[in-house]
Amino acid sequence: MSENPYNLAVRDCFANPLHIGDVIGGVTAYFDDQGMRIRFSAGIVDRLMVELRFRAWGCPHVIAAAELFCRQFEGRDAQDLEQFETGSIMHDLAVPAEKTGRILVLEDTVRSLRAAINDHLIIKQD
Amino acid sequence: MASDLIYLDYAATTPLHPDVAERMRQVQSEAYFNPASNHAAGRLSLAVVNNAAAELAKLLNVSLATLLWTSGATESNNMAILGAAKQREHRGKHLITMRTEHKAVVDVFRFLEKQGFEVTWLAPDSDGQLPPDRLEAALRDDTQLVSVMHINNEIGTVQDVAGIGSVCRKHGVTFHVDGAQAAGKIAVDLAALPVDLYSLTAHKFYGPKGVGSLYVADGISIEPLMFGGSQQRRMRPGTLAVDLIAGLGEAASVARRKMVGDLSHLSALKQQLIRGLQDIDGLYINGPSEDGYPGILNVGVEDVEGESLLLALEPLCVATGSACNSQSLESSYVLRAIGRSDLEAQSAIRFSLGRLTTPDDIETAISLYCQAVKKLRSMKPGSVL
Repeated sequence: MSENPYNLAVRDCFANPLHIGDVIGGVTAYFDDQGMRIRFSAGIVDRLMVELRFRAWGCPHVIAAAELFCRQFEGRDAQDLEQFETGSIMHDLAVPAEKTGRILVLEDTVRSLRAAINDHLIIKQD
Repeated sequence: MASDLIYLDYAATTPLHPDVAERMRQVQSEAYFNPASNHAAGRLSLAVVNNAAAELAKLLNVSLATLLWTSGATESNNMAILGAAKQREHRGKHLITMRTEHKAVVDVFRFLEKQGFEVTWLAPDSDGQLPPDRLEAALRDDTQLVSVMHINNEIGTVQDVAGIGSVCRKHGVTFHVDGAQAAGKIAVDLAALPVDLYSLTAHKFYGPKGVGSLYVADGISIEPLMFGGSQQRRMRPGTLAVDLIAGLGEAASVARRKMVGDLSHLSALKQQLIRGLQDIDGLYINGPSEDGYPGILNVGVEDVEGESLLLALEPLCVATGSACNSQSLESSYVLRAIGRSDLEAQSAIRFSLGRLTTPDDIETAISLYCQAVKKLRSMKPGSVL
């Protein structure tokens, strides 16, 4: 085991998650792979993700990554999800290389959320 | 130790007993000589080594001549298994061990498989036990060595060494026991037990790290793994670490005095821990709950991931699996061998208690565990929406 497997950002996101829960009536996305389970829900007003919540089952890096994603994207335009990439999360949380696959589960969930929001917006336009 | 840490990982290692630390300090300053030197100073150090051997011999009820000093249980296991297998290669190349052994045994057998030996890996029952009749059924005409651990480091199973050893004696098979978790903790009477080779290490019973011993019964011979001097009858050459050996001897002496009290203390703490955790929904004990070693309790809980549980339990110092294996993301092979699923094995936490553990430590552990499980379950996705 390395001297400290979790950096301060992981410890903060894990110990003090501000975005645990569900947005009732919000747009949701769920992914289950490699023993990890992640669900995001988003409250959408116009194109803004005014509220982002998550639930996760997995290691501390996965939970921290889900929380960090919510912190970074809550309040932003849904279009900004296009800018999401795992590299910055891996860097910010110092995710060990052997856990890359787990962070890719997060990426899949975000991609799924983006698609769900797009569907939601199309339906609203119709 | 940092004052806020609560150390419940005594199966990984134990603190030095103050008498051990004092004895080592004394030897480092007053008897640091080479015990192989043929002068007065050397003889002084040799006396220190012999005194330590006498203490260890009393702990195990063996003669001094049967004990070899090593760097710890890993080396002892390597010496015993490789040395015995090579020594009796002419008799046969079939070896037997268990799937729940420590890596220091598993990896040696894997190495021997690559050398052309055939290894039977016996599965234990759900409590981690190997019934002697199951071993007997696995023996063949060409079986020459059986190796099992005395106390399992992950789940605390106390193996039926007497029963297994009797089967080995009956069939003329050499019997090695990895006693890393047992020596100095429970009564080990090697004069009475049918054991040929017994490995131990000092740091598991309040002695220093870096020193251990291998018991080699009278009439048993093993091939040496190291060469380079006449020390220890050429079985394990090299200058003896006099201060570490003195520390092991002192730890053995303390263990003999404190063993009964330690076991009573640990039993009470383990029961307190079980009582405090048993009402958690979905909690189960891995391994024996009744007759296992009282210093180890391994529990799992449904709907919680082990690594997150470990972090949520801080400042509690516990293990998710074998300490030597904790860098791996794989779930414990020991828990898989006793029938736990991968998911169940991932949530396992091993509490290992020791001489300095207090009832307050246990209360804090119970409280932290309950809070952590509640928190992690609250984070879990319920189901696909």
